[in-house]
Amino acid sequence: MKSMMKILLRYVFSAAGIALILLVVNFTVLVVWTIQSTGIAQKDYSIAQFADGLTLENGVYTLSEPIRDTITTQYQWAMLIANDGGKVIWSLNLPGDVPRYYTVTDIASFSRWYLNDYPVTVWARSEGLFVLGREKGSVWKYSIEEQQTMMDNFLACIPAVLLLNGFIAVLLALLFGLRLFRSLKPLAKGIEDMAENRPVALSTKGLLGALASRINQTSDKLITQEAALKKRDDARTTWIAGVSHDIRTPLSIVMGYASQLEEDPELPPAKREQAGVIRSHSERIKALVSDLNLASKLEYDMQPLRKKTVSLAVLLRGVTAGFINGGLPNGYTIDIKINDNTQNFFVEGDEELLKRALSNLIGNSIKHNPDGCAIKVALQRDGMVCTLQVSDNGTGFRQDLLENLNTSQNPSELPNRGLGLTIVRQIIKVHGGTTACYNLPQGGGEAVLSLPGLAGKGG
Amino acid sequence: MKDIFECKLLIVDDEPELLKMLDTILRREGFQRLVAAADCHAARRIFASERPEGVILDVSLPDGDGFSLLREFREKSAAPVLFLSARDEDENRLLGLGLGADDYMTKPFLPRELTLRLKAVLNRTYFPAALRQTAKPVFKLGETEIDLNSGTVSTKTGQLALTAKEFALLEKLYESHGHIVTGDSLCHAVWGDDLYGYENTLMVHIRRLREKIEPEPSAPQYLLTVRGLGYKLTGADGK
Repeated sequence: MKSMMKILLRYVFSAAGIALILLVVNFTVLVVWTIQSTGIAQKDYSIAQFADGLTLENGVYTLSEPIRDTITTQYQWAMLIANDGGKVIWSLNLPGDVPRYYTVTDIASFSRWYLNDYPVTVWARSEGLFVLGREKGSVWKYSIEEQQTMMDNFLACIPAVLLLNGFIAVLLALLFGLRLFRSLKPLAKGIEDMAENRPVALSTKGLLGALASRINQTSDKLITQEAALKKRDDARTTWIAGVSHDIRTPLSIVMGYASQLEEDPELPPAKREQAGVIRSHSERIKALVSDLNLASKLEYDMQPLRKKTVSLAVLLRGVTAGFINGGLPNGYTIDIKINDNTQNFFVEGDEELLKRALSNLIGNSIKHNPDGCAIKVALQRDGMVCTLQVSDNGTGFRQDLLENLNTSQNPSELPNRGLGLTIVRQIIKVHGGTTACYNLPQGGGEAVLSLPGLAGKGG
Repeated sequence: MKDIFECKLLIVDDEPELLKMLDTILRREGFQRLVAAADCHAARRIFASERPEGVILDVSLPDGDGFSLLREFREKSAAPVLFLSARDEDENRLLGLGLGADDYMTKPFLPRELTLRLKAVLNRTYFPAALRQTAKPVFKLGETEIDLNSGTVSTKTGQLALTAKEFALLEKLYESHGHIVTGDSLCHAVWGDDLYGYENTLMVHIRRLREKIEPEPSAPQYLLTVRGLGYKLTGADGK
């Protein structure tokens, strides 16, 4: 809904902006037009200059040459009406339908107006009235008359009117926007629901009905697909659980007899040793099967998590002591370093799974470095995140495995070797943490687990 | 009953090969009175007629499950039951133990582990006195003798008494002597809490304990510090 409010606000602002821009554009066009049309009218001479271009010498009127040209080309005709008697005493190109005598009433009625539909302009000279006529229909004239107070208020009113316009524009935009907002709101809710995999059933009436019905369809499709996927995942997990269950009984028999043969004093040592190999490899199969089962359950969220408050420092000490007490083979050492600020750091997690993750990492270092190595376990804290590092000075991770470990988002895309690390990644993932693996420049590998701490505890 | 090997054992599993193997293992171990059943129906019948003193029970059976069988058996007899199941889910383990099973093992298993657990279960049931050790250990660290019954430390120069905390620490360390005991476990044993906040207190008590049991407390030979983890009691010579 937040984004919808944002859209609405932007809509209103843009409407107001458009109104403003239109206003400015209109005003500019008006100004430019006015200036241009004035330019045409006053291109060469004003009416006074025309009038002054007519000179009287020895009783004969002479019009200067450039004025005459201008009148002929741009206007149509001109005349001079004498003050006394109203007779035309001089004229140029005077059309036939223009009278040669004028009464005061005639003059009053055409002055600054039309004479026989010819738009005319007049200029008073000492001896008479200079009249300049234009072609019929070439000029539109209108006389404006307003109350003085009205004109006085007019200038003050302009900003008020502009303001009012702006206000109305915003208000209208808001109203239309709200209408749109209201019709879009259920759609937005529907899309949100769809993103969170909730079923969506929007009303398909109204303007956006078609859109709503498409959203409904998409939601149905998503839910069906989700169900199908879950069914497939469930089937896969159940299948793996089934196989790992079924393999246990025959494996028991293999392990049982092999173990008995291994301990049978009547057998020659070489045979007993062979039985021991069968037994130890059966145990490896056993570990693999249970790893596979756990990995598939973690992958599809079918492993129940028994979460409780776990202190990582305590867990780390316990697992490390367990490895040492269990008898580390010769050539292996484990060094533990727990930063003081992690002593009261707690995570909400499944203790057994977290122990498993840590044991897998230490176990990996031992397994992949048969000639022995020095293992370092360290716990550090940065704010509400704890990082647990397990490193060794052995051979490190295989390059291809390493690339896959750090780039692949989906643990199931990891190579089928090294289920141990896959499980570590999955366990850390279900605890909301991250796993990263590196090879150290001085040799050896390092796995870094980051786990978020329990809010409100151990701050 | 003189010993646990006289117990009559009922083994229930639907896999004949496994029954045969269990029979071999248990006979070799010394158990002579063994009966077997391959399903719930046969198990009920044999349980009623033979009255076994111990049961090894599979969970998944062709005509039912071991859990309900256990419930029925419990109504009739107190014979110990050990589950041997191919289901490894913790849920099942907890369910089994919650129903009153005496132990729960998952397949595949090592024969030795099975026999050890079975013997422990039978011992607990039929010879509880054998396990109920009234006497606490007495052991020697070099020339120093420690008696956990009286909580005293005897050296050539005389006898010292352990305080309650020192006693609890030493008892915990001796329980797994030769192995590292984490500071957390020690604090749990003595104060019922994790190490955090008790580091200094623990160090003080360990120092006092060393003053009593070590010939040279500043260079301990028996009660060793394992840096970053906890402590270890070595060289204990039990009596």
